[in-house]
Amino acid sequence: MMLARASRFLEDPLCGGFQYAYSFVSNTLIFSLGLVQVLYNSLLPKSTKVWLHTFLQNLLITIIKTGPIPEHVSFIMDGNRRFAKFNNLPLQRGHEAGGFTLLTLVYICKKMGVKCVSAYAFSIENFNRPKEEVETLMTLFNEKLAEFARKAGDLKDPMYGSRLKVVGDRRLLSPETRLRLEEVEELTKEGADFTFYVCFPYTSRNDIQHAIYKESRNYKTKKTQLSNITQESLGKGMYLDEFSNKCDILIRTSGHKRLSDFMLWQCHENTTIEFVSTLWPDFTFIQMFLIFFRWSFFTTLQEYNTKDVSFFDKVSAELNILEKRKNITLESLPDPPISVSVLGN
Amino acid sequence: MTMTESQPVNTKFTVSDSDSSATASGSAYHVPPPATSRLNGGTANTKTRSIQAIANTVLTDNRAGKLADGSDSASNKSQVSYVGYTFYKTLLAVMFFFYGMFRYCQLQYNRCKLKIFDILNSPSNTPQLIRQDVVKLAKIPSRLAAILEMKPVGDVGGGLHGLLNDASEVVCWTISAGVKHLTLYDHDGAMQRNIDQFRNEVYEHLSMYYGPDNVPNYAVKIPHYNQVFYNRKDSPVPTDKHTKVAIEVSILSNRDGRQTIVDLTRTMAELCSAGDLEVGDITVDLVDSELKQLVGPEPDLLLYFGPALDLQGFPPWHIRLTEFFWEEDNNQVTYSVFIRGLKQYAGCKVNVGK
Repeated sequence: MMLARASRFLEDPLCGGFQYAYSFVSNTLIFSLGLVQVLYNSLLPKSTKVWLHTFLQNLLITIIKTGPIPEHVSFIMDGNRRFAKFNNLPLQRGHEAGGFTLLTLVYICKKMGVKCVSAYAFSIENFNRPKEEVETLMTLFNEKLAEFARKAGDLKDPMYGSRLKVVGDRRLLSPETRLRLEEVEELTKEGADFTFYVCFPYTSRNDIQHAIYKESRNYKTKKTQLSNITQESLGKGMYLDEFSNKCDILIRTSGHKRLSDFMLWQCHENTTIEFVSTLWPDFTFIQMFLIFFRWSFFTTLQEYNTKDVSFFDKVSAELNILEKRKNITLESLPDPPISVSVLGN
Repeated sequence: MTMTESQPVNTKFTVSDSDSSATASGSAYHVPPPATSRLNGGTANTKTRSIQAIANTVLTDNRAGKLADGSDSASNKSQVSYVGYTFYKTLLAVMFFFYGMFRYCQLQYNRCKLKIFDILNSPSNTPQLIRQDVVKLAKIPSRLAAILEMKPVGDVGGGLHGLLNDASEVVCWTISAGVKHLTLYDHDGAMQRNIDQFRNEVYEHLSMYYGPDNVPNYAVKIPHYNQVFYNRKDSPVPTDKHTKVAIEVSILSNRDGRQTIVDLTRTMAELCSAGDLEVGDITVDLVDSELKQLVGPEPDLLLYFGPALDLQGFPPWHIRLTEFFWEEDNNQVTYSVFIRGLKQYAGCKVNVGK
């Protein structure tokens, strides 16, 4: 007890020293990186930089593609408004910047071979925001939808062949918006390689409740049996169709460590949940790449452990280097030495 | 200290446990996320095996498997020749190798940091010190949850006894911090199955903290079986149903997660077809109130004592706004994680939608 009290007394200075050392190291690192950046900025012309950037990005994508790739990636785009506030921009600019980041990252995901991306664009709770902001978001959303649909239909565009789905409680949207959504979905429904789910206006509880509602209705109208209501069937009835039961990576920006009613059913079992402290518009390719890379690294190790036969086993079996242990009978062992008791009999 | 009331709940939507196959699937083997599975250690996760795994990636061509499920992969193959593919694969393996080394250093750094935090925060069974730490905070959660797991029997603090020991420690800290509701979750339901041992263990720990003469009253609840227990096993059953208790501990397992939602769906579907419930009446509020009855309320802060966040199938409906806390690369149930979790919670700001 005395020791505990003493340690408490020491806590602040020690902790401070510890943090000081840590911040010293990190500051030195940041400084040297900054120096490299300054040199890079002053020495290279802009066109070369753009070329270098694209080259590196493509190289990294090609490399990571040879390893395991997540199937379903999900984004919680938090921090658009704080981004606008920090940079002294109007609120709308913040949301626009966020939309731009999203489309860029979705494009990169598609290039890496991710099958499905879902993004939390608008929560049902967001209707509590000021009316102007909600309207701005709606307008912006319509614009982005039109842009995406155009890209998905353009043969030359990298987004060609992707399917767009807007999921959520549509009853809360205005009839015009709903009509437009249906048009866009109709336009892109052929795409099979890649699905992009925009959750708008969505909450996960609403999603689960909707699935329960659907199952109950089906049972009432005798379309399903009681024993057919299972975890799988309930998952399939959710907005994200076949991707509802599993999400590989969930990324939440701007540092809050909670799910905020998103992907609860999908994420509570074996999802890698990453909380990043950057604001969403500042979230870059390289940050996302690092998250994917880490995931890929650990998945490689996990797969190696769960796989039945590894390459090394196969090779050693072929070459017979390490002889496998064989089962033998007790009788086939050589006889032990004669047993003699100390008592002499 | 104010007291809370505890009593069994009555609900119209009783959930039958007759479907044994469903229960079995409910507590299926848990596959952790990749990072957690590696960082948890064990005999399959040695450094040698990791290097083997990385080397193995260079030598196996996994494109064949990818090809089977889509035309997209077929076009990939034509884009990159076999030589190019192997080249990039080797590059990836080299990157993996260096990342592995970096991660190892990071792991050691984090472990050191945690050791220092442990030395700085060691309450050594003294409730006053815990309360002293908590009093400094601006707010504390009203409901706390913790995910615990059973370690391999051979490890230090492993097996059932280790799990119960960890659980009772968490109960003691929570009581001392002044939080009235605690939810303990373990995936396989080991605590639920050994509820008597759990109660006795908690009693022993509490008597270490508060002395054997004035052990606080506690209620232990298993929402799945709709059971409530008071204090330790051989203690007299309170005659008054509204016994004042210092803490209410709910014990959950994987069964309270998805499978309970499925059970609720079945019950609702039956009620609907019998005409007792309108399909249109199934709203988020109704589902919420029923799941609150069946599983319990939503916790404010969820503590995880593992190396990388792994929710292990914690009831999905109940983690809507829950704040998560875990320490990177930590693998022990320690007080420093607990108090740092409370500190994080005291600093966080919740704005629902706004």
